Amino acid sequence: MSRLRNPWGRPRGLVLVTAVYVLWSIVPVAVAILFAFNDGRSRTTWQGFSTRWFTGATGSVFHDAALQSSLKHTLLLGVLCVLVATPLGVALALGLQRWRGAGSGSVNTVMLLPLVTPEIVMGVALLLLFLKIFPGIGLGTTAQVIGQVTFTLSYVVVIVRGRLVSIGRDYEEVAADLGAPPRDQLLRVLLPLLAPAIVASAAVVFAISIDDFVVTQYLSSDASTTTVSMLLYSSARGAPTPALNALATVALVITLATLALAFLVYRRFAGGSDAAVAAALEV
Amino acid sequence: MMGSRWTWRLLALPGVAWLSVFFLVALYAVVSVAFGNQNTLSEPVPFWNPLDWNVGYVLTVLRDIGSGGQYLTVFLRTFLFVGVALALSLAIGYPVAYYAARHTGRWRGLVLLALVLPFWINYLMRMLAWINLLGPGGWGTIVLHDVGIERLFIWLGLLSERGGWLDGQPTTVIIALVYGYVPFLILPLFASLDRIDQRQIEAARDLGASPFQAFRRVTLPLSLPGILAGSVLIALPMFGDYYTPDLVCASAKCNMIGNQIDQFTRQGSEKVTGAVLTLLLALVLLVLMAYYLRSTRSADADLRAGEA
Amino acid sequence: MQGEVRLEGLTKRFPDEVVAVDGIDLTMPPGEFFTMVGPSGCGKTTTLRMIAGFERPTSGRILLDGLDVAQIPPHKRSVNTVFQSYALFPHLDVARNVEFGLKYKRLTKQERRLRVAEALDLVQLGGYAGRRPSQLSGGQQQRVALARALVLTPRVLLLDEPLGALDARLRKDLQVELKALQAELGITFVFVTHDQEEALTMSDRVAVMSAGRVEQAGTPREVYEEPATVFVADFLGVSNLITAEAEADGEGCALRIGERSLRAARGDTGARGEVKAMIRPERIGVEAQDAPGENRLPGMVERAVYVGTAHELHVRLVGGDLVKATIPNDGSVPAFAQGAPVTLHLPADAVRVLAPRPG
Repeated sequence: MSRLRNPWGRPRGLVLVTAVYVLWSIVPVAVAILFAFNDGRSRTTWQGFSTRWFTGATGSVFHDAALQSSLKHTLLLGVLCVLVATPLGVALALGLQRWRGAGSGSVNTVMLLPLVTPEIVMGVALLLLFLKIFPGIGLGTTAQVIGQVTFTLSYVVVIVRGRLVSIGRDYEEVAADLGAPPRDQLLRVLLPLLAPAIVASAAVVFAISIDDFVVTQYLSSDASTTTVSMLLYSSARGAPTPALNALATVALVITLATLALAFLVYRRFAGGSDAAVAAALEV
Repeated sequence: MMGSRWTWRLLALPGVAWLSVFFLVALYAVVSVAFGNQNTLSEPVPFWNPLDWNVGYVLTVLRDIGSGGQYLTVFLRTFLFVGVALALSLAIGYPVAYYAARHTGRWRGLVLLALVLPFWINYLMRMLAWINLLGPGGWGTIVLHDVGIERLFIWLGLLSERGGWLDGQPTTVIIALVYGYVPFLILPLFASLDRIDQRQIEAARDLGASPFQAFRRVTLPLSLPGILAGSVLIALPMFGDYYTPDLVCASAKCNMIGNQIDQFTRQGSEKVTGAVLTLLLALVLLVLMAYYLRSTRSADADLRAGEA
Repeated sequence: MQGEVRLEGLTKRFPDEVVAVDGIDLTMPPGEFFTMVGPSGCGKTTTLRMIAGFERPTSGRILLDGLDVAQIPPHKRSVNTVFQSYALFPHLDVARNVEFGLKYKRLTKQERRLRVAEALDLVQLGGYAGRRPSQLSGGQQQRVALARALVLTPRVLLLDEPLGALDARLRKDLQVELKALQAELGITFVFVTHDQEEALTMSDRVAVMSAGRVEQAGTPREVYEEPATVFVADFLGVSNLITAEAEADGEGCALRIGERSLRAARGDTGARGEVKAMIRPERIGVEAQDAPGENRLPGMVERAVYVGTAHELHVRLVGGDLVKATIPNDGSVPAFAQGAPVTLHLPADAVRVLAPRPG
C-alpha cells in the first residue's frame, strides 16, 4: 500500500482539525505539568519556577509521607504485577497459539473477555470475590496485585501471540531437524526470538498497572494501599497544592521512560517501527 | 514445536486456571450476591446455588426501572451521556484519524506519537488537568469566557451560571468524557483507515468520482467496521465510568449508572443492590461485548490460520 | 546401503479430509540426486516433510536404510533438511548457526570449531563465520543453511525448493554447485521442486508427482523421452498431444487422425480406441505443402514465434489440434511464415501413444 500524498488537493481543513485536536489533547496536561513547577501554592496562577513540590523540605513528593507512600505503593504494585502477569501470559500465549482441538476457542474467548469488560464490573466482581470467597486474603496489596494481573494478562497474551505468528514454526522445525529435543527448541530458539515481545509486554503491563484506577481502588484496604491514581482522585476536588501535579508528573515520567525503553528494545531486536506501532495499537 | 498436544495445554493451564478463578468465579460472585440477601450487619450474603436464589432485590430494581423510578433515570442519563459523547468523539476523531492515515508524509511518526501519547498519560491526570483549567480563575475558564463560548453555552442552556463549569454541569461531564475517551477511538479508526488500499480510492477517482464522492462511496463504507469497533471499544468503558462525573460534576444531577453502583458497593452498604445493578449493566453491555469479541475472533482466526 | 530411502504405501490424510499423499511407493537409491517434481499441491513437499519427520504419516512406512523411521521424532532421525526459507536463526551468527546441531553430538569445542570451519569452506563461505544472517544475501543464506545441515554428516539431505527464492541467474549457478556438491559428498539428496527444467538438469532420478500420486519415476531421460502418462508428457517440457483413433497395424499401431494415418512405434502401441499421440516439438519436421511420404499431416501456420534459439511454429492441423514445432535457428530466414500451408512430418519412432487413464 503506497503512502502517497493525496495528489488532488491540500487538505488544509484536516490539518487544522488535527492540529487543534493535538493541542487540545496535550496542552491541558502540559499546563498541569507546568504548574508542578510553580513557586507557590496556586495551581492556577503562575508564581515563578521552582522544584519545591518535587524536592522541597515540606509538602513535596520526596518529603510528604502520603505522597511518597502512594508513589512507593504504585511502583510496588507495578513490579509485582509484571512479575506475575508476564510469565503467566507468555505461557498462556504459547499454549493458546499451539493448542489444537477442542477447548481452544473457549479459552481464547475467556482470555479476551477482560479486555472488553468495563472496569466497574471487574471492580465489583473482584471486591465481592475477596470479601466472600477469599476472605482469608481480603482486601489489600495482595488483592490489588491479583486484580491487576487478572486484566493485564490479556495484554501480554495478545502481544506475545502477535509476535509468535510472525515468527512462525520454521525455526522450531529447523531446530528439531538439527537434533534439538522439544525443550531445547523452546529454550534455544523460540524464547530468544520472543524476547523483544516479552520485554514489550512487560513494559505495557507496568504502564497499565501504574495508571490503573478502578480495580486498584476497589481492592484497596486502607491508606497504606493508596496509589498515585487514587490520591489524584481523592485530592482533585479539594484544595491540593501543586505537589499533586508533581506527583502525577513523576508517575508520568516513569511510565513514559519505561515505554520508551521497551520501544527501543523491541525495535532493535524485532525490527521495524511498524511492529512497535502495531503493538501499541493492539492495546 | 514437535511436543505432544498436551505440552501446550499444560503451558496454558496456569493462565487458564488464574482466569477461571479470579475472573469467571469473580463474575459469578456478582451473580450470587445479586440473587443473595443482606444480613443484619448490612453485609451481603451470596447464594451460590441457583436453586436458592433470592429474586427479591432483583425484582425491586426491575420494578423501579419499570415504573420510571430512580434507576431508570440513571440508566437513561447514562445512555444519553454516552450517546452524545460518542457522537462528538466520532465527529472529532474521524477527521483526525483520516488525516493521520491518509495524508501525512514526513510528519507521520510525529503525528502518530501525538495520537498515542494520551493513551499512556494517567486518565486521572488528564481529568485533573481539566479541573485545574476549569476551576474558578483557571486558565480554561478565563479563555472560554473571553472567547464567548461561555455566553453561548449559557444561552443554549448547557451551562447554568458563569464560571460554574465544575458545579454540577452535565455538559462538563460530556466534554470530559469526550476528552478522556476520544484517543481510544482514534487509534482503531486510524488502523481501519490505514488498511484501506489507496488504489481503490484512485480507481474511484479514475472512474470519475469527485474527492467527496470517492470518500462517501469508497472510504466511508470501508472504514465502517473500524467505526463500529472503535465505538464499541469506547462505549463499553464509558458506560461504567463513575470517576469522570465524580471529578467534574460531583452532583447527583450527573450520576451515571457507574456512580450508582459505586455508591452502593464501595462507598455504602447496599452491596446486594449494587451487585444487581452491576449485573444489569453487564447484561445490557453484553450485546456490545459479544459484537466486539466476534469481530476480534475473526481477526484472531486469521492470526491462527496464518501460523498454520 | 548408506542413505537409501524407501517409501512404502505412504499416505497422509489431513484432518479436513484432504489426501495430500495417496499411498506412494518410491525408492531413492543411496548416493543419488533424487528429485520429486510436480505442480503445487501434488504432495511432494508433504512427502518430504514426512521423511524429515515434521508430519506423521497416516499409514505406510518410511524406511531409512531398512529401518522404519515413521514414528521416530525428527530430532532423532539422521536426515537433515534445507528449508525453502532457509530459516537461519536470526539471533545467532553464521558460525553459531552452523554449530547448532553439533551440540547434540559428543564433540569437544575444538572439534566443533573445526567441523564448522570445514562446512563453511565446503560452501565457499570461509570468511563469513562472524556475520549475522541479516547481513547475508539470499544465495549466501542458502549456503549457510546447507552448511548447517551438512556439518552433521547426515545420510540423507532433504531440500525443499531451496532455490525458489533466488533470481534466475543465481539459481542456475547454484544448481550447478549443488549438483557438484552432491557428487563430491556422495550423500543422498532428496530434492523437491516445481520447476521441471531444474529437475531434469540436476537429478540422477526423477519422480513426477500429481495429486498425491507418483505418475512416473525414472531417470531424466526416461521420463522425458518415454513419458508414461499424458500428465508426465505435458509437465516435462513441451509436448504436443494430438487426439487420434488407434487401430491395429501389423507390427505396430496405426493412428487415424482425420483422414490421414500415422504409424506410431512407441508407447502404448497395444491400445485401441481413442488415444493421444504425443510428439516433442523438436522432433517434428516442417516441410512444404503436399510434401510426399508417410507420417505426414497437413496444416497451416497460425503463428511463427522467434524465440532466439529457435523458431517456434504454431500449426493448426486439419482435425483442429494445435501443434508446436520448433526449428533450430541456424541464422537463415525461416521458410514458413504466418499463414503458410505446411506439411508436418512426424517420424514413427518419435510418436508415442498414450492411452487414456482408466477412470
